[in-house]
Amino acid sequence: MRIRVRRTGGFAGIERSAEVEADGPGWEALAAAVLAGDGAAGRGVPDGFAYEITIDGRTVRCADPHLTEAQRTLVSRVLREGA
Amino acid sequence: MTPSFCTIVPPHLLEHLAASENPSVAAAARRTLLADATARTARTRPRPDAPAPGAEAPAEPRRTIHDARNRTALPGAKVRDEGEEPVADATVNRAYTGLGATFALFRDAFGRDSMDGAGLPLIASVHYDEKYGNAFWNGEQMVFGDGDGEIFLDFTLPVDVIGHELAHGFTQYTANLEYFSQSGALNESVSDVFGSLVKQYALGQSADQADWLIGAGLFHPDVQGAALRSMKAPGTAYDDDVLGKDPQPAHMDDYVRTGQDNGGVHINSGIPNHAFYLAATELGGNAWERAGRIWYDVLTGGTLTPDTRFTEFAAATVRAARARYGDAAEIQAVTKAWAAVGVPTD
Repeated sequence: MRIRVRRTGGFAGIERSAEVEADGPGWEALAAAVLAGDGAAGRGVPDGFAYEITIDGRTVRCADPHLTEAQRTLVSRVLREGA
Repeated sequence: MTPSFCTIVPPHLLEHLAASENPSVAAAARRTLLADATARTARTRPRPDAPAPGAEAPAEPRRTIHDARNRTALPGAKVRDEGEEPVADATVNRAYTGLGATFALFRDAFGRDSMDGAGLPLIASVHYDEKYGNAFWNGEQMVFGDGDGEIFLDFTLPVDVIGHELAHGFTQYTANLEYFSQSGALNESVSDVFGSLVKQYALGQSADQADWLIGAGLFHPDVQGAALRSMKAPGTAYDDDVLGKDPQPAHMDDYVRTGQDNGGVHINSGIPNHAFYLAATELGGNAWERAGRIWYDVLTGGTLTPDTRFTEFAAATVRAARARYGDAAEIQAVTKAWAAVGVPTD
């Protein structure tokens, strides 16, 4: 499973992207939870980050501070571990 | 009463930064060290809009700082309330002081009681999330991260960043510029303008003494850059092999069309930012006194719509300059500034 996170906006307005080849039950459950939470995000706020999470070609958009727990966990994990 | 600029930055951190091999970090730390002394001087300066003797007592801030304890629930645990003594956590104290410096600018320079003009309590949460390299205004309060430790340090470090976030509240309560495209870039620019003025007022700097940088001292020492944005020279704030180059334009010819960042609100803000810088330096003296007053009058004047574009904003600054100062140097400076960045005013 290929997961890509693109983070834009923020106070600095500096874009950051990372991608992981994710395998294992932990990733599967997290990805499923993120896709299930699609549409839950409210509008962004001034200087808040905006995120695009693409899981095997399906893209979910969300923005701080309205991330679900699963979205936040996945975003920080991909940005930390991904390249 | 007095502007509350009782900075409690831990001396070890400032001295460490002041000795940094990165000149911008060192300079920022030295400026902050200096700010303690200058702010004490600033307390004794007369305030232009101070009420006459016998008038109602000047407004005082109502600040509350919360600690999110590296989680994302807001506002988190209350750690310092208005009037309470400094705590051991320097981040908490910097946020408290920065809110005070912002409140002081709006009260002293413009006679405004907080961001809504009606004593709005100022609330900030620090230590938001883990290694969070950002700060934002959520519509009700400010939120500050500790920085990721690789690119950004603690977002409470530069006082102009604190002023920038709070100024989003000011915009929300006045012109309410929509956070998208040109009106979004204006919203961002207004926050940079008043954020920079907060710093200039706290340090007692005139327009020609100010650095006109946004976020000086926020970058990790390894990053090649003085700050996040430069109002004096948009596009020159950083040039780093990891971050790339500061993408801000200084002229409409270089306006960036993009779907990211709400239509490039943090990029195209360089154009109105530079117009303010040009007007302020052309007029000279303290930027908050005339250029700042004109921009303040535009935001509070009730003539802007939420989807205001650059040309409409520019025309409003010319009208505001005429309304307040007549047909004088101010109107010339403002007109010339917008012309220089390629934005017509008629």
